[in-house]
Order: sequence, then C-alpha cells, then structure tokens
Amino acid sequence: MCFANKGFKVTGIDIDSEKVKLINMGKSPFREPGLDELLMKALGKRLLHCTTNQEHALEKSGVSFITVGTPSLPDGSIDLDFVGAASQSIGEALKKMNKYHVVVVKSTVTPGTTEKVVKPIVEERSGKHCGSEFGLCVNPEFLKEGSAIHDMLNPDRIVIGEYDKRSGESLEKFYKDFYGESMPPIIRTNLTNSELIKYANNAFLATKISFINTIANICERLRGADVKVVAKSIGLDNRVSPFFLNAGLGYGGSCFPKDTKALIAFSKSLGYMPELVEAVTKVNEAQPFKAVDLAEKLIGNLKNKRIAILGLSFKPNTDDLRNAPSLKIVNFLLKKEAKIIAYDPKAMDNAKKIFGVKIEYASSAIKCIKGADCCIIITEWDVFRKLKPGDFIKHMKKPCIIDGRRIYNTAAFLDDTKFMAIGL
Amino acid sequence: MTPPSISIVGTGYVGLCTAVVFASKGYKVITSEQDHEKAASINEGIPPFFEPGLEDLLQRVLKENNLRCVLTSEEAILNTDVTFITVGTPNKPDGSIDLQYIERSAQEIGEALKKKETYHLLAVKSTVVPGTTENIVKATIEKYSGKRCGINFGLCVNPEFLREGNALHDTLHPDRIIIGEHDKKSGDFFEAIYNSFYRAEMPSIIRTTLPAAELIKYANNIFLATKISFINQVANICEKIPGADVTVIAKAIGLDKRIGPLFLNAGLGYGGSCLPKDVKAIINFSKSLGYNPIIFNAVEEVNKAQPIITIELCKTILKNLPGKQIAILGLAFKPNTDDMREAISIRIINNLLNEGAKIVAYDPAAMDNAREVFGNDIQYANSAIQCLKNADCCILTTEWEEFKKLTPEDFIQHMKNPTIIDGRRIYDPKQFSQKLKFKAIGLGTLT
Ligand SMILES: NC(=O)c1ccc[n+]([C@@H]2O[C@H](COP(=O)([O-])OP(=O)(O)OC[C@H]3O[C@@H](n4cnc5c(N)ncnc54)[C@H](O)[C@@H]3O)[C@@H](O)[C@H]2O)c1
Ligand SMILES: NC(=O)c1ccc[n+]([C@@H]2O[C@H](COP(=O)([O-])OP(=O)(O)OC[C@H]3O[C@@H](n4cnc5c(N)ncnc54)[C@H](O)[C@@H]3O)[C@@H](O)[C@H]2O)c1
Repeated sequence: MCFANKGFKVTGIDIDSEKVKLINMGKSPFREPGLDELLMKALGKRLLHCTTNQEHALEKSGVSFITVGTPSLPDGSIDLDFVGAASQSIGEALKKMNKYHVVVVKSTVTPGTTEKVVKPIVEERSGKHCGSEFGLCVNPEFLKEGSAIHDMLNPDRIVIGEYDKRSGESLEKFYKDFYGESMPPIIRTNLTNSELIKYANNAFLATKISFINTIANICERLRGADVKVVAKSIGLDNRVSPFFLNAGLGYGGSCFPKDTKALIAFSKSLGYMPELVEAVTKVNEAQPFKAVDLAEKLIGNLKNKRIAILGLSFKPNTDDLRNAPSLKIVNFLLKKEAKIIAYDPKAMDNAKKIFGVKIEYASSAIKCIKGADCCIIITEWDVFRKLKPGDFIKHMKKPCIIDGRRIYNTAAFLDDTKFMAIGL
Repeated sequence: MTPPSISIVGTGYVGLCTAVVFASKGYKVITSEQDHEKAASINEGIPPFFEPGLEDLLQRVLKENNLRCVLTSEEAILNTDVTFITVGTPNKPDGSIDLQYIERSAQEIGEALKKKETYHLLAVKSTVVPGTTENIVKATIEKYSGKRCGINFGLCVNPEFLREGNALHDTLHPDRIIIGEHDKKSGDFFEAIYNSFYRAEMPSIIRTTLPAAELIKYANNIFLATKISFINQVANICEKIPGADVTVIAKAIGLDKRIGPLFLNAGLGYGGSCLPKDVKAIINFSKSLGYNPIIFNAVEEVNKAQPIITIELCKTILKNLPGKQIAILGLAFKPNTDDMREAISIRIINNLLNEGAKIVAYDPAAMDNAREVFGNDIQYANSAIQCLKNADCCILTTEWEEFKKLTPEDFIQHMKNPTIIDGRRIYDPKQFSQKLKFKAIGLGTLT
C-alpha cells in the first residue's frame, strides 16, 4: 500500500481468494490506522491490484516481495511451508519471464533459509541461475502493528541482505526511488546476517520487556518502590533508551512470541542454548497470570465474581488477538469460575470467534464495568486512559481495579478506589 | 545560598572523583579515608588509582586549598554541612551485599553528629540494596547520634552513575540525577545543592523514595549487563553460522531507537568493580524477597561462560596448550583504567595457566595491579610488540586504543605463530584473516 501511494505499480498476491476479493473492493481484511484510506486511494489510481494468479503478477514487475506467514511449529521451530510454496510459484512465474527480476524475502526467516530453501526452489522451478538471471535479497520488515503505515514510511533503517552485489544494488535503487530525500540509513550485508538481524532485534525488545517486568515483580515486594519511576529513571540513560520499558502483562502478538521461540529452537539446533532468551520467554509466559494474582489479592476468591476486562487485543490500535495476554488471563479466570464481561474497541469480532458464549461482551467501557466486582485493564487503549476514578466508583459494584498496563495516576486511584497495579 | 561545605566519607574511586569535581568548582571539600596510605597519597596530589585527568585536577584543587583528606569521619563531618557516603559495598562469598563499611561509617557519622548543633544533610552514594538506607543507615545514625532523621539531619540516596575511565566528564555531565529522599526537606536541600552546582546545565532530575532510588541504580546496571549478555549470546550464535558477523547485527539493531547503539559490543563479557557485583547483589536480594529473577541469573551465567570461549578457541587452534606461549593484550577490565577488579583477563589467564600455557601480558595502565594479582605466575612485557615476541597465539582482551593501531604485519613479524583471537572485535576480519590465522568473538567462518 505504501509503495502504491508513492506511484509504484503494485500487485498483491494471496492464495486466500476471500482476502483478494475484499482487498480489490477496498476493504482491508484487518484493522490498521490509516490503511483503509490508503487502500481506496491506491485502488482509485489503479496502482494496486490484488490477484491469486502469481504468473500474471510477476510478469509485469521488477521486484517481488515474499511476505507470507512464518508461524511456529509445536516445538517452537519455524514452519517454512508457506515460504516454500511461495518460492515455488515465484519460480514457476520466473520461468516464463525474460528480464532480470529480484526476489525479496521480507518474511521473518531463520538464518540460512533464503540460501538453502528459497534459492534452490526458485532455481529449480524457474530453471534459472540466481545471480545472473534473477536477484535474491533478504529485507526484514520492522513495522509495528498499529503504526504500520507510519513505520513503513519512516523506518529507523533499511537492512538489505544480498545474494550478490547486483541484487543488493537493485533493491537499494528501488528504495532510493521510493524514499527520495528521506532515505533512511541503509545496511547492506549478506543474506544470513540480515536474517539474524530481524530475530536479534525482536529478541532484544522482548528482553527489554521481560527485564522491566522482572523489575516490576521486585517492586511489588518492596514498600515504596514503583516500577514506573524506575523505568523513567533508567530510560534517561542513553545506553538504555526509554522505549519498550513499560512494565505490564507481557508481550503478545504475532511476532515476539513466535520469533523468540524460533530463535531459541534455531540456536539449539546449532548446539547452542541461548539461556538468556529462554529466560525472557519464561518470564513472559508467567507474566499474564500476575493479573489474576492481583485480582485475588484485591477481592479474594474469584468464583462467581463478575470481572470486567478492558482490552483484549495484544496491544492498542489493532484487532489482533494472536498470542494476546488477554487469552491466558480470561481462560484462567474462567477456570476459577469467574464471570467475564469484556470490551475492546476493535477486537470484539475476533474475540467472539475465540470465546464464543463463554464470556459476555459489552459495547463500551462503561457498559463493561457496570456492576462488576473487579476490573482488569489488559490493553492500554487511549479510551481507557480517559476513565476517571469517578467512572469506576459510579458504575462498578465496588471500585476494585487492577491496572495491568500502568495507565492510571497511582495517587488519584489509591485515594478513591481499591487499586492494584503491576510493579507497584 | 552560600555554597555548602562538603564532606565525603570513603575516598575511593567514587569518593575522590566526586570530591575533586566539587572542589574544582570552588566548594570546600573534606574527604575522610580510613586507609592512611591512601589519604597521604591524596594529600600529596597522587590519586591512588588511574583516571584520565584526575591527577591534574587533584593537584589544582589542593593548591587552591579547596580539598583535603583526613583520617576520621568526625573531623570531616564537624566541619561541613553535607556529607556523601561513598564507602565500598562489596559482595560476601554468597553474593549478597556486604554492608560492613556502610554500618561502620554510619556509626562514625552518628557519633560525630551527636556533637553537632546544626542541621546536617547526608547522602548515600554507595550502591546499596533497597531498604539499606532506611533500615541500616538511618537507624544506626539515629542510634549513635540520639537525633531524629528528618528533623536534626536529612537523608537522601543519590546513586552514582559515573563510568571509570570517563569519571570526571560523567560527573560534570550526567544523563540525570536521581534523588531518593527520606523527607521533603532533605530532597529540597539536596536538589538546591545540585542546582547551584550545575546552574544552567542542570540535568533532568528525578525525586523519589529511598528504596526506589536504591533500586534504580541496580536496575540501570543490570540492564547494561543484560545488553552485554544479550549481544554476547547473539555472538555465540553467529560463531556457528558461516558468514555471520555479530558486529553487523549489533550495528543494524543499534539503529533501532528502542535499542540504541551503546553497550552492544560483543566480547568476552563484562567485568569491573560494579556490574558483576551489582548483578550478584540484586539476584541475592531478589531471592531474599522470595522472587527468583531468572533473567538476571541467565545474564550472569552467560557472562561467566563467555571468557571460556577464548580458551576453547585457543585449544582448537593450538591443539594442545602445555608449553605454548600466549600473549595477552589488555588486563584492565576496560580501556582507560588500571582497575583489574573482576577483570575478564584474570579468568582467562588463570584458565590458561591451569592448562599449562605460558603467559606474557601487557597493559598500558594496569601492570602494577597485575603484578599484585599474578605475581611470578606470568611474565610481563613493557610494550605490545614485546608482548607478541615469539608467542604462539595472541588474545586481545581489552580494547585499548593503542592495540587498535596494530597491523597484521606487527603480529606476523614478531609472533612465532601469527594467530590472533580478537576478544573485543577491534580488527577487520577480512584484512586480518587474509594474512594470518584469525578468530574472533561472534564471527562465523568467513564465506
Ligand atoms: N505482523 C507484523 O507486525 C510483522 C512485522 C514484521 C515482520 N513480520 C513477518 O512478516 C511475515 C508475514 O507476517 P503477517 O503478519 O503479514 O502474516 P499474515 O498471516 O497476516 O499474512 C500472510 C499472508 O500470506 C498469504 N499466503 C500464504 N501462502 C501464500 C502463497 N504461497 N502465495 C500467496 N499468498 C500466500 C496468507 O493467505 C496470508 O494472507 C512473517 O514472517 C512475520 O514474521 C510481521
Ligand atoms: N567505581 C565505580 O565506577 C562506581 C560507579 C558507581 C557506583 N559505585 C559505588 O560506589 C561505592 C564506592 O565504590 P568505589 O569504587 O569508589 O569503592 P572503593 O573501594 O574504591 O572505595 C571505597 C573507599 O572507602 C574507604 N572506606 C571504607 N570505610 C570507610 C570509613 N568508615 N571511613 C572512611 N573511609 C572508608 C575505603 O578504604 C576505600 O578507599 C560502591 O558502593 C560502588 O558500588 C562505584
């Protein structure tokens, strides 16, 4: 979408014909701020078109990006089936082309995949030589769901892993045309390094989160300590940096959990146990349950208590529920026979698919907390930040609040409500 | 306000640097030091340790009569308005914090305050586990002075973030100042001191409770240790992947604003007087609260294993170590210091000695300290080149500027068997591996 809106002609290919139909009608199959608008514009200018037919698509273009999913297998290792299938169809399309074409792997793949999986499949199916007849690059994507469009237009840096110089030059030129004056710093390296860069990046951010959650867990055991003050203070150290230091209920989503696990499995397959990354995932797996612990501390036995859940998506500004901490929390509360009513500004449809009739759904935050015994803030949506102690006092049976994301003014809430928070 | 006079209890690394910087801005400073030799040397203008720029500044403030070092805390306290406590806080054998120096100095301060009429402000600058200032410092001082904290004397925690090798600059230009305060008056008074010290250049200030300020120091150091162990782990993965190079990875992820480029150098692990001790202390403290911080355990484990990688590399290159001569370039725990406390070089050398290797070592600043550690167990060279002479393998352990200038030819010309293990990634792998045997932390086989 971002490419199309800068005048590039783009063809989207997906095997899911439902998705293709939706997109061509101007409906994005998931929520992302600003996306629908850009999509309409691009379709209007006939710069974007979506199809299920790869051959047709590739023939007209000079660069193809592979952005298929790379989920985890049950043992945590990476599932490369989609990458393999996409490589096959690209290879077949390349066979009929007679000009140089660059294949770019944007999906997150473990080191060696592009060289050992993508390249041989494309070569075999196309009958062409990588390097002389087609180019091959790895170009990891660092966008964040919820600010995807902004991130694509203003990346901190572009990483290009190149099979050979020509491939790298072609992709760099492509980005220079795209970004013009505002070209971000670029790092050109080999395929393996750029594959590992993406994992290292995500694993480090996950580490930051589990680190600050560990500090939060220490703070909870110390009278007078507050993780927010600690995070703010250490964030002022320029060796630390203030971002990704919010204590809470842990990271979720489609990337961090999967990528940290894939890195661990990959590293083990090389005979090296990355114990720090393992500890990071363990801390994260335990962290959502803190919400339930705090609820029990605050209101005692949860059986038949009405618990209002504010926020279900794994982070604000998305409807994505993949690996969201809310899933663990809600299931654990159900196990304790609590009664759940939930509200999320965007993720209600996805939530209904997961929980069905096991929980109730509210149509606003206020309706959600009505008559509740306890309210747990799981996702830090802006609309929830605006709630005042008075709102909880007025609508809840008793104003008992668990702030799982540290969005409320501690002093104000402690004065007027029964309030507990992560890292307080 | 008229500038307060300042005393400092414990004239070690932090104490002396703090004292000299205050004195250089015209404050009257009295430091106390229990170690007679150290005190004498300070009064003669010779810092007991190496720190760039310190000797000059010390001599200047002595000449200007703004600093003197005395032997008792009492003398220091009775003649000043504000006291910083900067005594050492080492670990006990089990890793927990050893507070004996804190307790002793608090007692001395209490006894001195008993004789003082006027309000006195105290600030704990030593790194102490949360609760120490309230439960030990305050309680001890109240007991021995018979006075009340918050009324007759004030109490703050003011963690120190200076880096050895850069101490004067860091003290003059901190990223931020943290003040943990016992009561508002203590915090206000203390903030005023820093305001008049930094004036227009006042850094951001965070005022909080005593335990939060104590924890902030640990959290900060453990985060840095985590960053190092993290990138070392990536380095260890890189070593197993042909074509991978951790320096490229670090550069690329360092461009992410949420990560930042600092403290992302893969190497042989962190050493020194702070990170290892603070990581141990917080693990122990956290366990004492009933919480096992598994990430910090992992950070420490990774760091313990990291120096051993060089031994393994050495063995693969030289086949067997007995009788082989190994040149060690760099002994200080980091460049620009002579500090060898918990230096990685010690672990590497001891391991190599155990394997029967012969060691020749050189460091631009830490030779005297090294002699105290190793005595006659190793040989000492007086230059990098001399150190390389006839060696079978060279391990680069500290990234001093002068080592960065060595070229492949220097190694080829002087070594018996030109082989380098670059433990700090200061050499260009392509250039070096074309000319001699070259291994480095975080470098997969070159493709
Ligand atoms: N979501 C993020 O925030 C994010 C950020 C950075 C990197 N990534 C990485 O990007 C990759 C894609 O992630 P995503 O979240 O967009 O996944 P997704 O599951 O939302 O999208 C993948 C799409 O590919 C389609 N597909 C699968 N096989 C195909 C084939 N052979 N031909 C055509 N279409 C095919 C699927 O139908 C699906 O629509 C992953 O490797 C992920 O790790 C994601
Ligand atoms: N060195 C650093 O880079 C650094 C940085 C930040 C914080 N810190 C912290 O600051 C504290 C001091 O560290 P350091 O490296 O300066 O230690 P150090 O061992 O160099 O100095 C401590 C000094 O205090 C003296 N002393 C002990 N008890 C005394 C007493 N009762 N009266 C007078 N003198 C006494 C000792 O003789 C010694 O000279 C530690 O808690 C440390 O963790 C150090």
